[in-house]
Amino acid sequence: MSAIEVRGLVREFKKGPRAVDGIDLTVAEGEIYGFLGPNGAGKSTAVLMLTTLLPPTSGTATVAGFDIVKQGPQVRASIGAALQEAALDRFLTGREHIKLQGSLHGMKGADLKQRGNDLLERVGLTDAADRKVGGYSGGMKRRLDLALALLHSPRVLFLDEPTTGLDPQSRSALWDEVARLSREDGVTVFLTTQYLEEADALANRVGIIDHGTIVVEGTPDELKAEVGRSSVEIEPHDAARLADLERALTPFGEPMVTRGTSASIRLNEGVGDVTAIVRALDAQGIVVHQLRLREPTLDDVFLEKTGRSLEGSGDNDEDETPSA
Amino acid sequence: MTGFSHWLTAVKGITWRQSSSFFKNPALVLPSLLFPMLFFAAFAGGLSDLNRIPGFDYEPGYTTFQYVFVLFQSSMFGGIFIGFAVARDFENGFARRLMIATPRRSAIICGYGLAALVRSAFTIVFVTIVALVAGINVLGSPGQIVLLFLLALTSNILGSLWALGIAFRFQTLSVTPLMQIPFFILLFLAPVYVPIQLLRGWIRHVADVNPVTFLLEGGRALMAGTTGPIVTAWLVILIGGIVLGIWSLTGLRAAEKR
Ligand SMILES: Nc1ncnc2c1ncn2[C@@H]1O[C@H](COP(=O)(O)OP(=O)(O)OP(=O)(O)O)[C@@H](O)[C@H]1O
Ligand SMILES: [Mg+2]
Repeated sequence: MSAIEVRGLVREFKKGPRAVDGIDLTVAEGEIYGFLGPNGAGKSTAVLMLTTLLPPTSGTATVAGFDIVKQGPQVRASIGAALQEAALDRFLTGREHIKLQGSLHGMKGADLKQRGNDLLERVGLTDAADRKVGGYSGGMKRRLDLALALLHSPRVLFLDEPTTGLDPQSRSALWDEVARLSREDGVTVFLTTQYLEEADALANRVGIIDHGTIVVEGTPDELKAEVGRSSVEIEPHDAARLADLERALTPFGEPMVTRGTSASIRLNEGVGDVTAIVRALDAQGIVVHQLRLREPTLDDVFLEKTGRSLEGSGDNDEDETPSA
Repeated sequence: MTGFSHWLTAVKGITWRQSSSFFKNPALVLPSLLFPMLFFAAFAGGLSDLNRIPGFDYEPGYTTFQYVFVLFQSSMFGGIFIGFAVARDFENGFARRLMIATPRRSAIICGYGLAALVRSAFTIVFVTIVALVAGINVLGSPGQIVLLFLLALTSNILGSLWALGIAFRFQTLSVTPLMQIPFFILLFLAPVYVPIQLLRGWIRHVADVNPVTFLLEGGRALMAGTTGPIVTAWLVILIGGIVLGIWSLTGLRAAEKR
C-alpha cells in the first residue's frame, strides 16, 4: 500500500486561481517526497488538502490508506503536520503545547509525559520547555512545531517549508532528523520546499510543481540525468581571445549566456569531453585561466521544464493574481 | 483507546488550554469582572429609588432585581467572549492545529464551550459575592437557587454557541460586534430596569415575546421564591440550545470547507 496516493486533485479558490490544477502522485511508505516549487506554485494548498484542512474542488486522494474527504478522522489520526506558519499560542509554554497536542490525540498521563520529554530533548528544547512560546526564536518555534507533529508517532508526516527562515545549522539539524525518521522509524515524509539543495539532499523522490501542476517527477538523479548535461565555463587568460574561445567551444555544445569575461557551453556528451576541450584550446594557443565544470542541478531541471529559473521565480515576477 | 474516551480527552485538553490562557492573562480576566460590576453599581446603586415607585412589587428589592439581570448578562457574555478567542485562533492559525489533530472535530465546540462555562462560573461566583456584600435578599429555597444558577450557566451555552457559529463562519476578529450586538439588543429589549408590568407601548410588546424576558423573569422568580415562567425559561434554553447548536455545528462544517 502506498502512503499517499493522489489522483487528479484540483483546488480552485472562489475569487482566486486554480491553486492546484490536477496533480497525480504516489508516495511509497517510508519514502521522503520532496514537493519543490516557487512561491505561489500551490504547495501549501496541496498540503492543506492532504491534511484534511481544505476540501478539494475535484479529484481524490488517500493518505495512509484513508480517503481525505470521506475518512477525515482516520486520516487525521495517522498524520502529523508542521504547516508553513507554525501555529503556536504565545501564552503557553512548550510543555503546555505538548500537553494540549497530546490530549487532542487522546494521549494522557505518564505515556504522554515520557513521549513529550523525549521529543523535547530530541529537538533541543528541554531547557526552554517551561518558557512561554512568545519568547521563542523562529527556529525554536519550528522545532517545537516539529516535536508536536511527531507526538503521536504518525505514519505520515507533512512538513510545509520546514526550513524556511532557519539558519544553516538548524537547517542541517532538521535535515538529519527528517532523514532519521524515514530511515529508522519508517515514517513517510511529504515535504515542500523552495530550496533545490533541500530537495536534492533529503528527498528520495522529487515532484516539481509550477502553477498548480507537476511539471516533472523522479529521483533527484533521474531528473538531473534527464536534463542530462553538465556545463563548462572557461575564462581565457587573455580577455581579448574571448571570441576565439567561444568559437573553439562550439563543437562541444551549445553556448550559454554568461558574464563578459568567460564563455560557457552546455556539453553535448558526458563529462569526458573536458580533456578534448582543453586539447582543442591548447592547439589554438588559447591559455585557460580558469575552468569550471558544473553538474546539472534541479534548477536546470526547473529551467528546462518551465523556461524560468526557480530562484527568484514565483508569484511576484509572474502574471498571476497576487497573494494576500 | 475508545472513540469516546479519545473525544473526551480532546475536549478536556481544549478546555484546559482555553481556561489557562484566560486565567494567566489579566487583560482578559479583569474586564470580565469589571464589566458586570460596573453594571451592577450603576443600576442597583443609581436606580434603587425605583423600590418605592408604585407597581414595583419585587419582594427582595431592587438590588436583587438587578443582580439577576447582571447574572444572566455576564454569563451570556462570558459565552460570547469565547467567540473572540476562537476568532483569534483562526486569525493566527492556531485553529488549524486543533482541526488537524482532533479526529472528531465536535470536540472543538465542546472544548471551547466548556471553557466558556468555566469562565462564566468564575464570574458568577465573583458577582454573587459582591452582590451578597451589597445586600441582596435571597428568598428562594436552596433548590430554587441551584436552579437559578443552572439557568444562568446554561444561558452561557447559548452565548457560546451563537458566537462560535459566527467565529467559524467569518474566522476574523473584525466580526466580534456581530457576536455581541444581537445579544445586546435582546437583553435591552427585555425587562432590565423595571418589571415587565411597568413596561408600556412597543417595548412591552417586544418584551412579551423576547426569550430573554422568560430567562430574567424566571430567574427573578426563583430568587424570590415565587412562581414565574420557570418552565418557559428552561424551554428557551432547550430550544435555543438546539437551534444555536445546529448554527455552530454548521459553522464548523463551513469552516472545514474554506
Ligand atoms: N485562501 C485563498 N484564497 C484565494 N487564493 C489563495 C488562497 N490560498 C492560496 N491562494 C492562491 O493559490 C496559489 C497557490 O498558493 P499556495 O499557498 O498553495 O502556494 P505555495 O506554493 O505554498 O507558495 P509559498 O512558497 O509562497 O508558500 C497562490 O496564487 C495563492 O495566491
Ligand atoms: Mg506555501
